[in-house]
Amino acid sequence: MHHLTPFCLLLGLPAPVLAQQRPAFQPDSLRRLALREVVVTATRTERSLTEVPIPVTVVSQQQIKAMGSLRLGDVLSEQTGLTTVNDHGQGIQMQGLNPEYTLILVDGEPLIGRTAGTLELSRVAVGNIQRVEVVKGPASALWGSEALAGVVNIITEKPQPGTSGNVRLRYGSNRTMNLSGTFNTKGERAGLTVFVNRYSSQGYTLLPGSTGPTQPPFTSYTAQSRLTYRLGKKTNLSVSGRYFTEGQHSDLTVTAETGAAAVVAAKTKQHDYNFNPVLTHRFSNQLFATARLYHSGYRTRENYTYRADGQPYDASYFHQTFTRPELQLDWQLKPTQTLTGGAGYLRETVAATRYEQRQELRAHYLFGQYDWTPVPRLNLVLGARYDGHSQYAGQFSPKLSGRYQVRPWLAVRGSAGRGYRAPDFRQLYLNFSNPVIGYSVFGTNQVRAKVTQLAAQGQLATDPETGQPVVYEAVLAQASGLTAESSLAYNAGVQLDPNAKTRITINGFRNDLRNLIETAAVALKANGQSVYSYRNVTRAYTQGLEADARYLLTPHLTVSGGYQLLFAKDKAVIDRLEAGEVFRKDLQTQETERVQPQDYGGLYNRSRHSLNLKLFYENQPEGWSVSARGIYRGRYGFGDLNGNAILDADQEYVPGYWLVNVAAAKTFRQRLTVQAGLDNLLGYTNPTYISTLPGRLYYASVALELGKRSR
Amino acid sequence: MHHLFLRTAVAALAVSSVAFTSCSDDKDDNNVVAPALEIKTVSSLAPQPAPPTSTGQPGTPRHYTFYSLADGKEVPYTDSASTKWDLAFRGTTILTNAGTSGPGRGGAQVKSGLFAETVAAPETGYAVDGTAKAIPTGSGNGWYNYNSTTHVISPIAGRVLLIRTAAGKYAKVEITNYYKDAPATPAGTEPSGYYSFRYVYQPDGSLNLK
Repeated sequence: MHHLTPFCLLLGLPAPVLAQQRPAFQPDSLRRLALREVVVTATRTERSLTEVPIPVTVVSQQQIKAMGSLRLGDVLSEQTGLTTVNDHGQGIQMQGLNPEYTLILVDGEPLIGRTAGTLELSRVAVGNIQRVEVVKGPASALWGSEALAGVVNIITEKPQPGTSGNVRLRYGSNRTMNLSGTFNTKGERAGLTVFVNRYSSQGYTLLPGSTGPTQPPFTSYTAQSRLTYRLGKKTNLSVSGRYFTEGQHSDLTVTAETGAAAVVAAKTKQHDYNFNPVLTHRFSNQLFATARLYHSGYRTRENYTYRADGQPYDASYFHQTFTRPELQLDWQLKPTQTLTGGAGYLRETVAATRYEQRQELRAHYLFGQYDWTPVPRLNLVLGARYDGHSQYAGQFSPKLSGRYQVRPWLAVRGSAGRGYRAPDFRQLYLNFSNPVIGYSVFGTNQVRAKVTQLAAQGQLATDPETGQPVVYEAVLAQASGLTAESSLAYNAGVQLDPNAKTRITINGFRNDLRNLIETAAVALKANGQSVYSYRNVTRAYTQGLEADARYLLTPHLTVSGGYQLLFAKDKAVIDRLEAGEVFRKDLQTQETERVQPQDYGGLYNRSRHSLNLKLFYENQPEGWSVSARGIYRGRYGFGDLNGNAILDADQEYVPGYWLVNVAAAKTFRQRLTVQAGLDNLLGYTNPTYISTLPGRLYYASVALELGKRSR
Repeated sequence: MHHLFLRTAVAALAVSSVAFTSCSDDKDDNNVVAPALEIKTVSSLAPQPAPPTSTGQPGTPRHYTFYSLADGKEVPYTDSASTKWDLAFRGTTILTNAGTSGPGRGGAQVKSGLFAETVAAPETGYAVDGTAKAIPTGSGNGWYNYNSTTHVISPIAGRVLLIRTAAGKYAKVEITNYYKDAPATPAGTEPSGYYSFRYVYQPDGSLNLK
C-alpha cells in the first residue's frame, strides 16, 4: 500500500496541472480521438470504439504514416497481442492462434488465397488505408469461418469532397522501392478514389552459400479504385475493385539427375483481383439495407527450369475463386435497440496441380444480432450465425457480449462465443503422392474412393492373416466425417480512463479449441509407407492476458505500452505428461528421462511474454512527426530436439529479441513531406530461425499532396 | 523346404535346451545376488554402400546391415538367410529374424517407457515381420519421428524395442541416433542410416532384463 501511493499520485497529479497549462480551446486530443473513432467490424454497424463490448484495436492512417509502414504486415507486427509468424508467408498470430484462424477483410470482404493457412500480409499495400480494425476473440457469430481468433478489417479511403491526390516515393536498403499515387474526387453525386502502387526489392540473402536467396527479388503492383454514386436521396451505390500482381525470380541450386549440382531458375507469379459493388438504401430512419456482391480470384504459377538447357524441373499452379452475394438489414427498433440481420450465399472453386480436378463448394448462411442498451450504462449484444455447407456439417455460432460503465472512468466488458474454421481445400481435396519416399495424402472428400482404388490396384499392403488390405477403418471413418475446427472462447476485461490523459485496457482471454485437424494414417501401402488423410482430434487451449496503456505526456507526445502474457497448450500432451508417458533424451548425457508436466512449454512458436513500448510525437502546426517503437518478442519454441515432439527443453527455444524502429517526418507548407526512418535499429538477426529479419533497414521518402485539400 | 524347417527347428531346440540349463544355473545365482546384465552400446553402425540414385539423393542401400545381439557384432549380409543375426537395419526400417525377414524365431514389440525401468520382457505380444514389420515403420509409429521441416529423423525418446532374437531369447534395445558419428542435435544433412543404440541381452532365455 505504501508503495502504491506515490504511484497513484504520480498518475493523478500531473494531469490537472498540465490541463490547466494547455489553452482552454484545445481539447484533449486523446479523448477527442477516442470519441470520434468509429469501428464497424465489432457489430457490423458503426459503433464508437470505446463503447463496443468486445476488444477492438484501431490503427489510424496518421499512425500508419508516422510508422512509415508500407505493407499490412508492418502495421500489424507492432500491435499489442499480435505476433508476426512465418509459415508459407507472413501472417499474424492472435491470442496464441495461428494465422489460419484470423479472418482478413478489406472493407468487410475477405481476402482469399492462403498458402498452408497463411494469407501473405505483404500482399496488402497500406497507402490508401484509412484505418485498420482488429477485433480479438471469435467473431464467427457475425463473420463465419476463419473468424476464430479474431478479425482484421482494412478500411480503405472513401471519396472525400473536392479533388486531391498525392504521390509518394520511398527508397531504402536492399534497393527496396515503393512508388504510389492516389487520386480523389467527389462532386454532388459521384465520387472516385484511385490508388496505384509499385513495390519492388532486390531481396537479400542471410546465409551466403545457401541454395538460393532468403528473399528473392520481387516486383509487385497494386491498383485499387472505388466509385461512389448517389442514385437517390436515400440510395447509394459503391463499386470497388482491386488488382494485385507480384512476380519473383531467383536462381536455386539443386542436385540434378546426374548427381551434380545444377542451377534452376525459379519464376513465380501471383495475382489476386476482386470486384465489389455495394448498394445501400435507407428506407427510413429506422431501417437501412445493404446489398453486396463480392467476387474475388487468386492465381499462382510457379515454374522451375534448368538454367543450362531450359528443361523443366518442376511447375505448379493454384487457382481459386470466391463469389458471394449478401444482404444485410439494420433495423433500429428503438433508440436503445438495434436489430441486424443478414443472409448470403457463397460459392468457391479451386483448381491446382495437386488437386484432381476443379473442385467446387457452396455454402449459405444467416446471421442475426440484437444490440440492446437497457439502461444507459449497460450494453448487451447477442448474435448468432448459421452456416450450411456442401462439404461438412452446418455450423451454429452464437455469441453474447456486454459492457457496463461502472464509473465514468471505469468500464467492464465480457463476452463468450463460439468460433469455427472450415476445413480448407487442402484438407478436402489434396491428391498427392510423394515420388521419392512413396507416401500418399488424400483430402477427406475422396480418401475412401482413393483407398478402394489403391486396394483394387494391389498397391495396399495385405494382412497375412486375413488376406485383406491393411486399412485402418476407424480412422478412415473419422476422415470421411471431417468437420470444422471450433472453439469456445471467453474474454473479460476492464477499460480505465483515470484521467483525461491516460487510458488503460486489460483483457483476459481463454480459447478452448476442439476438433483441430491433424493428419493421420488411414491405410498401409505395399511399399511400407502410409496413406494419410485428415481427421479431427486435437484439443488445445490458449489463454492469457493483454494490457495496453496510453499516456499523453505532452499535448504532442504520446507514450504507450502493451504487454501480452500467453499460455497455449495441447490438452492431449498434458494428459500424457500427467500419466508419465512422455520421455526425453538429455542432449548432454544422451540419457533418457521422464518429462515432468511443469517442463512442458506448450505449443511451438508462441512467446510467453511479448511487449511493446512506443513514443509518438505529432506536432501538426510545426509539421513534425516522429516515432520510436520497440517491440519485444519473448523466447518461443521452434521444434523438437530431444525426441519427444514436444517443447520441453531450453535448447528448443529461439531466444527473445527486441526490434526497434524509428522514423521522423517533416511536412513543409502542408504539401511536401520528407521522411527518413530506420527499421531494426539494433540490427538484430537470427539467420537460422528468423529468415524474415534482414538486419538494419534504412529508408527515405518524399510525399507530395496535390490539389485542393479538403481537410 | 521340409529339410530347412527341420534343421532350424532342431537348431532352435538345441539352443533352447542350452538356454534352459543355463537358466536354472542363473536362478541359483539370482537367489544370492542378481548380477546386472551388461548394457552394451553400438555407435554409428554403418549402412551398406548405396548405389547413387537417378535424383542424386543418397539412395537406399541394396542390402540391410545385420547385427547379432547375442554375439555383439555385425553379421555379413551373405548370412541373411541364417539365424546368425537378430536385427537388420536399412534406412529407417529395422527387421527382426522371423516371418518374411528370416528363418529365426525373432519378433519384437515397441513399448513406451524408460530403458532402465524396463526390467522384464513381456511374455506375449511379439509381432513377427510380414507386410507390416514387427517394429512398425513410419514416423511416430515405431522408433522415430520425422520432422518434415528439417527432414531430421530423431529417435522417439522413451521407446524401448523389446526384441525376441533369432534364437528366441530376449533383449531390450533403445535407438539413440540415426546419423553418422551420432551428433547430439543432427542437422539432417549428415550421412544417415548409421544406427547408434544400446541394448541389454539376456543370454539365459529368461524374460529378466534387469
